[in-house]
Amino acid sequence: MDDFRQRLVQCFATVFPNLGPDEITQASPASVGSWDSLATINLVTVLEEEFGIQFPPEDLECLVSFELILNYLESKLVQVS
Amino acid sequence: MKYAEALKISQSRLAAAAQPFTVALACGCADHHLAVFLNAHLRARFPQRDVRVSSGLYGDVVGNIQRLGQTKIDAAAVVLEWADLDPRLGLRQVGGWSPSALPDILANAESQAARLVAAIVQSPRRVPVAVSFPSLPLPPVAYTPGWRMSELEVRLHSLSAGMAAQLITTAHVRLLNPQRLDAVSPPADRRDVKSELLSGSPYRLAHASALMEQLATLLQSPTPKKGLITDLDNTLWRGLLGEEDIEGVSWDLDRRSHAHALYQQLLQSLADAGVLVAVASKNDAARVEKALRQDDLHVRPESLFPIEAHWEPKSLSVGRILRAWNVAADSVVFVDDSRMEIEEVKAAFPTMETFLFPTGQDQEIYDLLIRLRDLFGKPSVGAEDRLRLQSLRVAGAFGEAAGQRASSDDFLRGAEAEIALDVDREPPDPRALELVNKTNQFNLNGRRFTELEWAEHLSRPDSFYWLISYRDKFGPLGKIAVLAGRRQGSRAIVDTWVLSCRAFSRRIEHQCLEMLFREIPVDELVLEFTATPRNGPLQEFLASLLDKPLAGPVRLTRQQFAAKCPPLYHRVKELIHG
Repeated sequence: MDDFRQRLVQCFATVFPNLGPDEITQASPASVGSWDSLATINLVTVLEEEFGIQFPPEDLECLVSFELILNYLESKLVQVS
Repeated sequence: MKYAEALKISQSRLAAAAQPFTVALACGCADHHLAVFLNAHLRARFPQRDVRVSSGLYGDVVGNIQRLGQTKIDAAAVVLEWADLDPRLGLRQVGGWSPSALPDILANAESQAARLVAAIVQSPRRVPVAVSFPSLPLPPVAYTPGWRMSELEVRLHSLSAGMAAQLITTAHVRLLNPQRLDAVSPPADRRDVKSELLSGSPYRLAHASALMEQLATLLQSPTPKKGLITDLDNTLWRGLLGEEDIEGVSWDLDRRSHAHALYQQLLQSLADAGVLVAVASKNDAARVEKALRQDDLHVRPESLFPIEAHWEPKSLSVGRILRAWNVAADSVVFVDDSRMEIEEVKAAFPTMETFLFPTGQDQEIYDLLIRLRDLFGKPSVGAEDRLRLQSLRVAGAFGEAAGQRASSDDFLRGAEAEIALDVDREPPDPRALELVNKTNQFNLNGRRFTELEWAEHLSRPDSFYWLISYRDKFGPLGKIAVLAGRRQGSRAIVDTWVLSCRAFSRRIEHQCLEMLFREIPVDELVLEFTATPRNGPLQEFLASLLDKPLAGPVRLTRQQFAAKCPPLYHRVKELIHG
């Protein structure tokens, strides 16, 4: 699980290069000014690339914070493994 | 390139002084991923520039192209897809694929193709435009099974090829080669249906990256190499020119050495396109001469210059060839079948690109031919390319004749030298920018220009521009110098001055300054000089005119120049005021 978290931090750091590690784990559209629709596209693309998964369209609306995304990935990837 | 890597590159910080390089991306699909990849691939090619990629409106590729002239851009990339010809050829609009609709799809595509071609042709000609034609497989529009070509597919592909045929002669347009794209991005792995339906971006990331990489390369237009030095035994031909003489070598199908004939054929093609081709062979000179006279050789011996055939180290041969060509090692490729020889040459000339000739491995030889074609590739072959080898031989004859005369003045007086000036800059001769961007030794400051920057440079108020050609009784050297700058009162500010190294020792550089004083006319020149690692000859020339060390802009008065200028014997043949 630590591995998921670390890889997710790296994905966020790629999309939001100005965020520090502490800010990343607290990140949400409300706390990160640059988290707009383009950033969402970037984040989804980077996550799909990094974790080798495809987000179903209906799940995208729920992925609106670091923690929610982490929980989502853990549940999906644990199911797969 | 992975998307995460592209994002990192495109978001990385540059020096504050980095000049912007703005590229408009014109397509009809959602272009966010394309823009990120294009930015990253351009940054890799222009590391000193602040690359900015601007996007257009979704679904309006014609409008996006028509708007290219409305903002200041340095280049444009146009990405066309089948859906841009008719929305029914994409997945996001359901207009009907029934057989009865196909004629209308085709008719609409033909109309839209005409609009697209017109828009691209009419885009600002100062801006290079890279164009890719539809790269996605057609959706199952027609009623034929997938393994059988339908009339609609044939006609659509013909339409796409027809657009390319109409655009290929448009000077500022560069077309992406689909054959190369196929090699780096398998056609069946290109479409991303989910992404197309969800966001309007029809490409898988790998294809988006490959497509943008090819377009970035088109926009970069890498500087071609100038010369190729080839070995003979087991390279130009199969076998060794040893005791068996020419019986021991071959380049034909019967003796399974035909790949060497293909290599010879490529070398002749390169030579005819202006590439310098020389031979460096550890061999007996007489045997080599005899072998190169064989009628069935596919490269003409007169296309090979110089020929270094002896038993000395290859690095000595290469050094002599570079001096004869007056070309830097990093502009030259060395091909040999021996790893040891390659290592020896590489040690002496680390910046030279070297290739092991894979004798006996036909596929690898073919791959090498493709690699060489890329390294020496150019968009067109001009008069200067055809003159290059001839002018080198002329330079040799010139030097030889000069050495036989007691006085260089006697020699230059009898050389019947003519200088022609071309001041027509609408449009500027592309040879001028080529000279400016590739000349190193006699270059005032080493500044390079994009096509747009060059056009803007020449359109400044009070600017002057000369493209200078030279010939003498030994033959023509072609267009060999460029001078540009601006007039400021009684002074001329010269900010661009290059002279091909082929034209040294003829006092053309003196005549350039003499003409500036006489034709502009001005009393003082300000030469915007900057020392570069390679402009030593220019520095020596300027130092010969001044009695003080060179630093920053060089001021030169008419009197100072007159006191140092040797006699000039050129006839200035032509002066066209544009």
